[in-house]
Amino acid sequence: MAEQEEQPITQPDPPGSGQSRTGRAVSIARLLHRECTRLLQLYKEKETFLSDHTPDGGRIVSLSSESEASSAEEQVQCLHSALRQCLGLLHCVILKEEEEWGKLEGDYETMRKNVRTRLEHLLHTTKDLVETEEMILEVTPDHQCNEEVDGAGGLFGLKMWTYRVLLELIHWSDHAAQTLHVLHREREGTEEI
Amino acid sequence: MPRLAVSPSSKPNCSLIGLICIFLTLSATHTHARIAVTIPEQVSLLASMNTQQLSISWLGGEATTFDLIILRTEFNETVFYGTVSVTVNQESGRHEWNWTSAEPLECTSLSVRIRSRDGQMTSDWSDTQILQGSDVPSNKDTQIYPQDRIVPVGSNTTFCCIVAEREVFGSIQYRSTVMSATRLSRRTYAATVVNQGPSRASGTNVLCFTDRSSSLSGAVVFVGYPPQLSDFVCETHDLTSTVCQWNNGRDTSLYGKRRTRYLVNNRDCTNNSLLQQQTECSVPQWEENWTLVAVNSLGQYSLTDSAELSHRVCPVAPVELSSVVHAWNATVQWQWKYSSYSSLALVCQVEFTAGGYKTKRTFTGVGLRSAVLSDLHPVEDYSVQVRCGAQQNFWKWGTWSKPISFKTKTDVPDAPDVWMWRNRDGTGQVIWKPLTQRQSHGQITGYSVTFWNPEENRQHTVILSQYTIAVPFNLTQMAYLSGDNKVIASVTAKNADGMSPPASVSLRLPDVELPAASRAVYTDEGFPLSWQSNANATCSFVVEWHETSCTYDCPVDWIKVPAGNTNVSIESANFQPGVRYSFSLYSCPSDSPELLQRWQGYTEELVPSGSVRLSSSQQGSDILLTWRSMPMVDSRGFLLGYNVYISNGSQLTLLANLSDLETSYTVKGFSMGSYKFTVKAYTSAGEETGTTVIIAMESYSDWLILEILTSLGILSLLLVIATFICYKKRKWVKKAFYPDIPEPKLPSDWSSAQGPLDVKPSPHSMVHIVEKPEWDSSKEMLVVIPEEDEDDDGQGIGDEPVDTDEPTSLRYYNQVVDERPIRPRFPDSSTSSASSLDSAHTDVTYTGIQTSGSSLVFQLDPQGSSEGHQPQAAHSVSCRGGGYQPQMQPRAPSDDMGLASAEPLLEAQAACSGGYKPQSSWHFDSPMEAEERGSLAPSLGSPTSIASTQFLLPDGEEHGEEKRQSSSAATWFTNLLSSTKP
Repeated sequence: MAEQEEQPITQPDPPGSGQSRTGRAVSIARLLHRECTRLLQLYKEKETFLSDHTPDGGRIVSLSSESEASSAEEQVQCLHSALRQCLGLLHCVILKEEEEWGKLEGDYETMRKNVRTRLEHLLHTTKDLVETEEMILEVTPDHQCNEEVDGAGGLFGLKMWTYRVLLELIHWSDHAAQTLHVLHREREGTEEI
Repeated sequence: MPRLAVSPSSKPNCSLIGLICIFLTLSATHTHARIAVTIPEQVSLLASMNTQQLSISWLGGEATTFDLIILRTEFNETVFYGTVSVTVNQESGRHEWNWTSAEPLECTSLSVRIRSRDGQMTSDWSDTQILQGSDVPSNKDTQIYPQDRIVPVGSNTTFCCIVAEREVFGSIQYRSTVMSATRLSRRTYAATVVNQGPSRASGTNVLCFTDRSSSLSGAVVFVGYPPQLSDFVCETHDLTSTVCQWNNGRDTSLYGKRRTRYLVNNRDCTNNSLLQQQTECSVPQWEENWTLVAVNSLGQYSLTDSAELSHRVCPVAPVELSSVVHAWNATVQWQWKYSSYSSLALVCQVEFTAGGYKTKRTFTGVGLRSAVLSDLHPVEDYSVQVRCGAQQNFWKWGTWSKPISFKTKTDVPDAPDVWMWRNRDGTGQVIWKPLTQRQSHGQITGYSVTFWNPEENRQHTVILSQYTIAVPFNLTQMAYLSGDNKVIASVTAKNADGMSPPASVSLRLPDVELPAASRAVYTDEGFPLSWQSNANATCSFVVEWHETSCTYDCPVDWIKVPAGNTNVSIESANFQPGVRYSFSLYSCPSDSPELLQRWQGYTEELVPSGSVRLSSSQQGSDILLTWRSMPMVDSRGFLLGYNVYISNGSQLTLLANLSDLETSYTVKGFSMGSYKFTVKAYTSAGEETGTTVIIAMESYSDWLILEILTSLGILSLLLVIATFICYKKRKWVKKAFYPDIPEPKLPSDWSSAQGPLDVKPSPHSMVHIVEKPEWDSSKEMLVVIPEEDEDDDGQGIGDEPVDTDEPTSLRYYNQVVDERPIRPRFPDSSTSSASSLDSAHTDVTYTGIQTSGSSLVFQLDPQGSSEGHQPQAAHSVSCRGGGYQPQMQPRAPSDDMGLASAEPLLEAQAACSGGYKPQSSWHFDSPMEAEERGSLAPSLGSPTSIASTQFLLPDGEEHGEEKRQSSSAATWFTNLLSSTKP
């Protein structure tokens, strides 16, 4: 593995720690983004044909209400929803891959597990940040994983779909880092994390 | 050919008549065939895409032989054309035939036609039946087939790519290899991969590229092996259920959904783990016969096993181990997971580990639950684990239990290993080896040493700390132990549990001469020492060793050898190369030790570290090299000898190899010069750097002088002998060498007076000549007679030379003398002159040689000593007495006084014998010269006897001494000869 983060997967919020909750959320999102990037890199090392390929099609996860959200809290709430879908997709990828290829224990599988745990941690963090009495947020995966993964079918289609899911994870983790940074700036009044 | 008959490509090239004839003929033939052979109807196609098999069925009547043609519909290319025999399926009543395509059936559409055949007659072709491919225009996207295919390793697979509409085919890649593709239809391209290797868990990718870079289609193929198992065996742990195990064999390369599934007696035992080589499966009861079936997409494999339960008992690991510990033993207890074991005869292994060593002990019993471990060591950490098997129909050992640890209790120490070192002066020390942890059985708190005399039963005890390993003794100071009585030292060790048994050693050794030490050669196993066996020997032995160079209170090591042994191999971590060790074998060490044998040896001989102390000395033309023998510490091996080299520049030339260890060597025959010698001692490992000595050979003048003195001594001895002989034979010598001189015979007219020659002598040169009364008056000779004043006699002789111009009156009487020629004799110690011929008439006494008047004897000293001038002086005196007129004779000073004066001497002799002649006198030109010759000048001017070798006036001391010696010898010899005169 090229690089490994020293930060633990689940990090309880220490009372009175110097970093704010929004700042910590931004850090988690950035870390998730780096781990997702690394996960895609490992996947491309396994499936080398993907190294120079950019798939067609739009986003797998999209939020219709994203543009309508005005406040930072609302944007984070939308982000939370998108992350739930991402977590659902990742769960589905893990499920299908283990079903097809077996339970492997390589670097890719390890990082895949890390990303899932980090994403769950980020969902809990964003939930804590923007959940209100009116807006109850869930942290469970929002994907049933019972539909065909992609139109092409076959295991090659699974690989292509997995590739797209990993791209989605990178996109939404990056989006999470930016959105949470906006919230952090609004709440803390500073750019500094 | 029928095909040719219906071929649409036939053209009317023949003449019309010909064509008509042929047409009619063929029409007649076909008409006949239609009657006999029915055309296949209701052709049906059933495709199996996975197996690429096309099942074709039709209604063909009574015919059993059919022609089939399969074409790629778009390009109308024949894929298959052949005649097949097909029977009717009794159930469906249809003819069925299967065809396997080389390409996936999805690749492109296939057209199938069939006709019946009866020998050479065939029916018309059936209607074309088309199997629709995936390249139909309705499927616009790019596709690749087959998808997710599982094939065995080594097989060949054809892949086809259906390019999307309005896209141009690019390539087909298998893994990363671009394959050679062929076109099957307008949109379909195919490539075949041969001899495929095993794929990874996620399969092997096959990609189809078109001119659209964003368009990527592909398929995954899984290449693997069918299952192949081994070592299928079933056993029971709980005496009820069954556990079957097997080895999965090689990796099938198929995972996940495609993994191998296992069935034991039709029970699913599939394990989802990928890399688990050994798989087991449990069956709730004992069935005695088991069948294992392994299945994957590529095949299946079966193994069977059968056995009775009692033959396949493999007990589980004991649990809840505990121990009851003592000093020398411990009891280990355990429990069984299954109560059914209580009636099972078990055999159990107890493995205990201590100090890194493992020991297994076996115990048996029905439902065994404990074992007593004896012969343990006190204060030792043990780790124990247990496993068991069925005692009857033993099948295999069960699993090891979890280990437990315990430490045994303490106990009294073992007796120390004691020996002693005794110096020559009666002192020494009792030594013992520190007790190891295994020997001390607890923390040692101290030692006690008791010296005692068993005969007088007197003893003395010393208490020592636990850190002491030696105690000195002095037998001469132990008054109550002194004498020749036996003295025994007993050492006991003490810990918290008590005292150890005593270990004794006798301190008195019989004063016997040490046996010669033989050499011990070191091997990989140490110094092998052996000795003669004594059948009656009941004592044990001790072999001690120490560095040979040590002689007093040496750090000695030893080993005890049980009685009866006649050899031992000595090895020690303290042995060092280049150090000589002495080994001594003692018998009966504790009672009456006796030195039996000695050895010396090196673990490894090295080159000597020191150098010899070399010295050299010259012995004439030889050189003696001597050196001291090298100390043992420096030799670092058995000295084999010395090499003597001479150094020639930077090169050493071997002169001698002294293998008998001599410490001197004489190198002979060297001339003067400087020489460099090097002496090197050597052992079996080589020679040391050597010591160099430089010697400069000198001329051996001392020896020359010694030889000269020796020669002179021998010569003197010969002279003494000759003198003695001469003395004894002096009469003969006198007669032979000095016969009596006959008396001169005077003529008768000798008395007549003759005219005198008047010469006026110098008053200072007057010589008073006294005529002896015994003088024979008849003897005539020329005499000098003073003219006046004889009283002036006492002065003038030998005085300073007088002025010759002064008139002197001397009267010469012309007397006849012996006319025999003057014959000088050389050499002779007697001194004489012509004027002394008749000096017997004077009153000047002398003790010199009396010569005959006819012989003139000169002593010419070639060494130029002062005596050499005496004849001249004497001559001068006598001549002046005869009226000599001194005359200055210029003469350069000369060192060679003797030679310078010799010639005038002879002239003077002639003159004196024949008459007057001017004579030179000694006169120095300068006072300085006179001073330089001061020692000589007085003598020259001194009066001397004409027959004497001595001056009359005293000379210097040195000359006086020399003259005394010389004159005494001359006098003695003269007297010797004179004594011969009657």
